[in-house]
Amino acid sequence: MDRFKFVLTRPIQLIPVLLGVSVISFVLVHSIPGDPVRILLGTRATAEVIAKVRAQYGLDEPIWVQYLLFLKNLAQGEFGRSIIYKTPVLDLVGTRISPTVFLLVYGVLLSVAIALPLAVVSAARRGSWADHAIRLYSTVGLGLPTFWLGIVLLIVFSLRLGLFPVSGWGQGFLGHLHHLFLPALSIAIALSPILIRNLRASLIAEMDSDHVIAARSRGVPQARIFARHVLPHALIPTVTLLGVNIGWLIGGTVVVEQVFSVPGLGSLMVSSIFARDYLVIQAITLAFAAAVIMTNFLVDIAIVALDPRIAL
Amino acid sequence: MRKTLGRVIGALAVTMALLGGPWEQPAAAQGVLKIARHQDSTTLDPIFTIQNADIWVMNNMNGLLVRVNREGTDVEPDLAERWEISPDGTTYTFHLREGLKFSDGSPLTARDAKFSLERLRDQEGSVMASMFSVIKSIETPDDGTVVITLNQPSAPFLASLAMFSAAVLPEKALAAADNANAGETGDLEFGNNPVGAGAFMLEEWRRGEVLRLKKNPNYWEADRVKLDGVEWQFIPNDNTRVLKLQAGEVDAIVFIPFNRVTELQGNPDLQVHLDPSSREDHILINHDHEPLGDVRVRHALYHAIDRQAIVDAVTFGHGKVANSFVPAGAMFYNPDNPDYPYDLEKAKALLKEAGVEGLSLRFLLTAGDSVHDQIGVIVKDQLAKVGIDVELVKQEEGQQWESTVAGEYDISVNYWTNDIIDPDQKATFSVYGDDENRSYYTGYKNPEVAKLVEQGRVELDRAKREDIYRQIQEIAKRDAHWIDLYYSPFRNASRKNVQNFYQNPMGRFMLEDTSLQ
Repeated sequence: MDRFKFVLTRPIQLIPVLLGVSVISFVLVHSIPGDPVRILLGTRATAEVIAKVRAQYGLDEPIWVQYLLFLKNLAQGEFGRSIIYKTPVLDLVGTRISPTVFLLVYGVLLSVAIALPLAVVSAARRGSWADHAIRLYSTVGLGLPTFWLGIVLLIVFSLRLGLFPVSGWGQGFLGHLHHLFLPALSIAIALSPILIRNLRASLIAEMDSDHVIAARSRGVPQARIFARHVLPHALIPTVTLLGVNIGWLIGGTVVVEQVFSVPGLGSLMVSSIFARDYLVIQAITLAFAAAVIMTNFLVDIAIVALDPRIAL
Repeated sequence: MRKTLGRVIGALAVTMALLGGPWEQPAAAQGVLKIARHQDSTTLDPIFTIQNADIWVMNNMNGLLVRVNREGTDVEPDLAERWEISPDGTTYTFHLREGLKFSDGSPLTARDAKFSLERLRDQEGSVMASMFSVIKSIETPDDGTVVITLNQPSAPFLASLAMFSAAVLPEKALAAADNANAGETGDLEFGNNPVGAGAFMLEEWRRGEVLRLKKNPNYWEADRVKLDGVEWQFIPNDNTRVLKLQAGEVDAIVFIPFNRVTELQGNPDLQVHLDPSSREDHILINHDHEPLGDVRVRHALYHAIDRQAIVDAVTFGHGKVANSFVPAGAMFYNPDNPDYPYDLEKAKALLKEAGVEGLSLRFLLTAGDSVHDQIGVIVKDQLAKVGIDVELVKQEEGQQWESTVAGEYDISVNYWTNDIIDPDQKATFSVYGDDENRSYYTGYKNPEVAKLVEQGRVELDRAKREDIYRQIQEIAKRDAHWIDLYYSPFRNASRKNVQNFYQNPMGRFMLEDTSLQ
């Protein structure tokens, strides 16, 4: 397929996938026991009041009618109104999207910043104490639960050393960078081990490959071989892996945002599920799904940029 | 290779040092109190909510005709400086203060009070409407006088008016919100942009993050308010909230876990506030599920559960065994109410007498609530000693409420905090036994108690009322309508420099008296 066509048609494939996601999440969320209006108004509200408020939000309709209504509103660019906050869902989600995106990008960049040098050292000095230490880190890092790690980081860096704020996301770019460092670091500590192991393996494979040996025998300087021949090839599987992990990463931010009280989509998702705020859950699920699909799309493009031989 | 790596590490180190250094957030403006809490507000329209997270903020934003005093024992003048009650107890005449204004600067008149109370009573979806259906009509002979006529005398009426729902709101702003958003959602807009007549007014609300209030210059008691503003930060994680206080990023936090109280009390930078609350935790008993309808079986449960052990384990000694459904220290509470001592032999004898053997109970608990987990395990262990098998059924909170309302439980942990200082509200919900609430979904009904609750509602003589409510407490206890577990205080903490941080037993933070040193 020609590349241009791919870039154009791929986003269109989003639509059926998102529709499928919306049906599944709608059914799943509505099958959780518990009524949002009862949760909102508690056990002291009379059945009459509960029924009236349910009717206000259309919750008294059968679920398929509610879904069709949701679709109809969606077609007009309306996501409906949050039952809990009583504001339009789109406004609510809109204000919460930036912290999550910032945190994800920050976490990925930090992971790469950690993984790249460590994997290179580990591959270049195979069997050395540095290699063993780095491999130990990637094993331990994989096993640490994020919620525990987050609290430990908070106690050490925020409470004892006073280097970083405990929670929130700050003002301005530098403020965000400062506030979200520990959350991004806990993402990086979870994600970088995967990248290190993968990158180390492919670096070693590349370094032993014929064309690298040939280049070395031609007397090409080591640094040039590494930069021109080894790294670009070794990166391809790692970039693919990173793309595959974005979905997992988005799930991970839900936990990270809770621990660090980051006002992002993940923490909104958790509170909305507890409150059965159906339309908010629906909107966030769709946003997450779209993000995963789009990232994989971008990864596809990135791989082609890294290796023009790969056809789309 | 080595050089590159060295540079990368160097750059990272520099970045980290910089991040920790000069870009530190500037200190908050003088006089803004930052409080971290575990729940976020949902709306600031008082008639559409019953959530503490909303009530605790609105208490400091809205004016009432009368309000609960600092100690939470009586009502005192707020917007109305004085009032008269007709001898037959059906006509209340309130005289408003001179020159009252809302936070937007518009004048507050008797018409606003009339509009607000009628809206509270009549508006579709008004949560507490049933408590105000006793209002027959409201007249406003002039801008400073509100005359409320009731269908029948109502002893708790003044206390009800001191409740958050009865806030006096501007008719103009409510009508404008309605007009701007024609249709069913119009009313909801006011909750996002409220205007009130309390100590503080809304500055900014970033949902799920922070709700900022600033001092209301038009508040009638503005001279009393020392803070420039209040920031309610939403920090759901208990550990993070405590860390934020320890690191000095907030001035105060609410709802610290019981197991952290002693530790925080030992921190010289902090003060822990265990202010008395009206909270009572209890175990509901479903009287409709045999043999729980048999009073002897309910007595046996009472005798078989060592409630002191539960208080010690759960509240780390900061709670107190409850002897009545009326909260300790609340109006007409009877400290000498009879109670059931822990007595396994008696419990066994009672079960035998009732002919109950091999009883198995479904115990409904809130999933993920560590206090409920503890109570569940202790009760299961204790009841096993008298041959009762307990099955722990953990449900997520929303589901637990549904099951409770539907009566799908044998026993269930639950709690109550008072909305008004008068015992009528809780008595009506907990022991009256009307068809709607069925004594808090237990199915308990004793005609003698129901009659006393009705008498207590219309009896205007305080001494006679006290006698009535003492009887109610005693009979309900004798009937073991549910199992009273414990009373517990509010659990808040603040930095040492915070003065007069106090939550009254009705849950109202007295922030008009709070200051930062």
